[in-house]
Amino acid sequence: MLTIDGVTKTYRGGVRANDGVHLRVGASEVYGLLGHNGAGKTTLVNQVVGLAAPDAGTIVLDGQDLVADPGLARRLCSIQPQAQVPITGLTPRRAIELTGRLRGGRADDARRRTAALADALDIGEWMDTDAARLSGGVKRLTSFAMAAVVPGRLVILDEPTNDVDPVRRRLLWAQVRALADGGAGVLLVTHNVVEAERSVDRLAILDRGRVVVEGTPVELRASVPDELRLDLTLEPGAEPPDPPAWALRAVRENGHRMVVTVPAFRAGDAAGWALAEQRAGRVEEFGLAPATLEDAYVALVGGTDRAEVRDGRAA
Amino acid sequence: MDALRSYVLLVTWQVLRVRVMLPLAIVVQALLAVGIVLGYPLLFPEIDRTTTLFLATAAPTITLVTMGLVLVPQVVAQAKTEGSLDFLRSLPVPRIVYLFADLTVWLVVVLPGVVFAIVAAQWRFGLDMHVSPLVVPAFLLVAFTATSVGYAIAAVLPPMLANLTTQVLVVFVLMFSPLTFPADRLPGWLAAIHGVLPIQAMGEVVRGTLATNAFPLTLGAFLALGAWCAASFTVTSLVLTRRA
Ligand SMILES: Nc1ncnc2c1ncn2[C@@H]1O[C@H](COP(=O)(O)OP(=O)(O)OP(=O)(O)O)[C@@H](O)[C@H]1O
Ligand SMILES: [Mg+2]
Repeated sequence: MLTIDGVTKTYRGGVRANDGVHLRVGASEVYGLLGHNGAGKTTLVNQVVGLAAPDAGTIVLDGQDLVADPGLARRLCSIQPQAQVPITGLTPRRAIELTGRLRGGRADDARRRTAALADALDIGEWMDTDAARLSGGVKRLTSFAMAAVVPGRLVILDEPTNDVDPVRRRLLWAQVRALADGGAGVLLVTHNVVEAERSVDRLAILDRGRVVVEGTPVELRASVPDELRLDLTLEPGAEPPDPPAWALRAVRENGHRMVVTVPAFRAGDAAGWALAEQRAGRVEEFGLAPATLEDAYVALVGGTDRAEVRDGRAA
Repeated sequence: MDALRSYVLLVTWQVLRVRVMLPLAIVVQALLAVGIVLGYPLLFPEIDRTTTLFLATAAPTITLVTMGLVLVPQVVAQAKTEGSLDFLRSLPVPRIVYLFADLTVWLVVVLPGVVFAIVAAQWRFGLDMHVSPLVVPAFLLVAFTATSVGYAIAAVLPPMLANLTTQVLVVFVLMFSPLTFPADRLPGWLAAIHGVLPIQAMGEVVRGTLATNAFPLTLGAFLALGAWCAASFTVTSLVLTRRA
């Protein structure tokens, strides 16, 4: 349905935000777009909806060229932007209904659909509250509803779950799925790898403007085969343990957590080592589990923002 | 038909949006109008009939121009900063419709100032002015030009620069523009600047329609305003259509 081919975008000032991006999103598919801060995700979706123009490459939706016709792009796509949508002076109900009608919906349909979304996202009690008095999460859910009230053929969601509490996050994911079930393609930007793993059909990881890997969550997880992750909670105040020589990676996540990745056949050794460390008073708790998509993600793009403790102690 | 529907919806949206600041805008305009008719006379040792007429007719022009060139760019620059401009740009509405809807709302916001100014001037100076029916198109043209120039300032310049420009403009309009005094008092270089800018023409069409007995009305002034209006409208719609 959506085909992005060779999209390259260099901003004035020389930042190459997208570099030959290829993507395919099918109808009724939830497609995740992951990647570090500044990877070029927002830049990519802005080009799809015609807020930015690519230097090279094509963006085609249902056989129609969106780059050539940004007006068409706006009719065919609805977007929840990453920045909070300021709805100053409006209430969520007003903002959602007006957006629905501006997207071509009939007044009574927009009203009905707004009420249904308010129920489904459990924000009914704030629907008539003035925007200035809304909490961050309710604002975010409102802007999701604005993109979903009269969805485009393609619905673009740029970090929709930010600021949203865990219970409503599930409600939100259910609505994302409902959009796809209704026939729309959903292109969803997120940093939440754990949720993406559960909720997207396919995903791509962007790294400095390039797609480094693309596939289903299962395929991506398989790219780090036969690995186990050993989660350690470190004893406060004690010296952190030295990872064993046969560990593949060891990442210090924060002051008192360390993740040691080991080959699957070392499961027994790993458990033994962790038990010994626990007895020695360096480890409080540990857990051993198969690698997650997050591990695949970190292995692919590198844990640049975390302290590596493989060689010597971490800072 | 679709365009008309979008227009009505967008006007609704923007009216709700500016409703919050409407009372403040009206208070500011009232103060401005009263300030002009009470404050400016202090600048003159003695007030003759011509001076009075200038002040009385300048009051509505000044409120219109300052609202258009100061308030509009500031609010639009803010909308740009907080991202609501980009969001509205992502909706399936033609840019022209969007711009027209916005300018309509601004007209409604800046027009109360005209009423205040005329009332205040009458109350202070009690003049008998011969008002021409052309006063309606004249005021609409001045208001539309001022708001669309203001809009263009915010559309073209980065928000910080737009805000700074409005500060400079307000002093320029209040002190150095031939609204409260005849243009022939301007030094040559300033007269040359005003030969290009629309402010002098705004003063002329307002004066020439509010007090036909005292001031001439020229077609040239209307044409100059029309040209400024069209140019700023074009620039703004081009900027709104441009993709990053
Ligand atoms: N308007 C702009 N002008 C110049 N450079 C920009 C502009 N917008 C973004 N960039 C740069 O382009 C790169 C990609 O930015 P983008 O916003 O697409 O990243 P992102 O993947 O959405 O990041 P995040 O996860 O933080 O939202 C960054 O280096 C950013 O600094
Ligand atoms: Mg982003």
